[in-house]
Amino acid sequence: MANQPDVIAIKIDHEKCTECRMCYVVCREINFNAVVIDTSQEHLHEIDMDRCIYPGCTTCLMYCPADGSIVESESGRSLVPPPPEAWTEDKQLRRRAK
Amino acid sequence: MNQVATAPFTNLALRLRETSEAAAVRTPFELLAEQANSLDEDQIFRLLGKLWVIKRLMYYVYGGWAQGLNVNEYPPSVDYLLSKQIYDDSTHEMLFMDEMLRRRCQPTQARVFAHEYGTFVQASRIGHIIFTLRALANYSHNLRITALNMGAKVIELTWLKRFGEAFTDPALKKLFAGLVAETESHIQMGRFVVERFVHSDVDIDLAERLTGIVRRDYLAVLDEIAAFVLRIETQQSDAIPEIPKGLD
Repeated sequence: MANQPDVIAIKIDHEKCTECRMCYVVCREINFNAVVIDTSQEHLHEIDMDRCIYPGCTTCLMYCPADGSIVESESGRSLVPPPPEAWTEDKQLRRRAK
Repeated sequence: MNQVATAPFTNLALRLRETSEAAAVRTPFELLAEQANSLDEDQIFRLLGKLWVIKRLMYYVYGGWAQGLNVNEYPPSVDYLLSKQIYDDSTHEMLFMDEMLRRRCQPTQARVFAHEYGTFVQASRIGHIIFTLRALANYSHNLRITALNMGAKVIELTWLKRFGEAFTDPALKKLFAGLVAETESHIQMGRFVVERFVHSDVDIDLAERLTGIVRRDYLAVLDEIAAFVLRIETQQSDAIPEIPKGLD
């Protein structure tokens, strides 16, 4: 994928997440649909790495109200949203190739 | 003597639930459960699409109900339970959508909205029950919660359990089985509301009538969805009803 960084696996830290579902809503709004509801009885939400293109998109981080609840899968490192000036309306996001 | 178990309002809640359970024993969805593992992908899309339509229209229903819920009219527990139910039904809506996208029924949510299987049709039985539920906003909160949770929700719980057992597709099995606990909690909420807030003779009578209406309309919806999924042609009369004399 041209001009797109390599995808890094991320996940939700359910110890910190408040289950407000802003990430789900905004990811649906931009048609990536990478945040999904787990079908187990707890119905926590998770990130589907078949669809997520992080760090190519950081929308969930920008809307998450609970700092540190989205982390890198491998290291467990908390992620922070990019500064507002880094986000522009004309930014083109590309879905992952199926 | 167990005072709770013999309280008259507990008996009313039990009676409403048992009547709905009796109606749920054999619904048109039993046909779907029997054929669960021979449904093709288009039929699964039809089923998930229609179930999603109902769930997403509940936002419209609850919106009307919440507008009619006055501050301090009921204790905070009742407000909390309504919020929890809205959140749960929202979760169920999301789960149906997730599964449609995961199965590649359509590439995006927007496309499902535009698709025939995901469109809300006012002149349908789904439309009928949605408007029935929305119209319950004209009644007090205790009565509308009773009607929905002791009527449609009891029937929904029955087919959810049945689907959870019948489907062998792991994703669908988990999806339906995963909705059982929350739906049961909504029924318990209905029971709580009946026991605490349906006490007057008028309320008891209305609770039974309204629960009966919602039960009837929900069963009609199941009939419509089952026929749609199984591609059974339903007969529609082309005859235009005559306008009674004096009204033409």
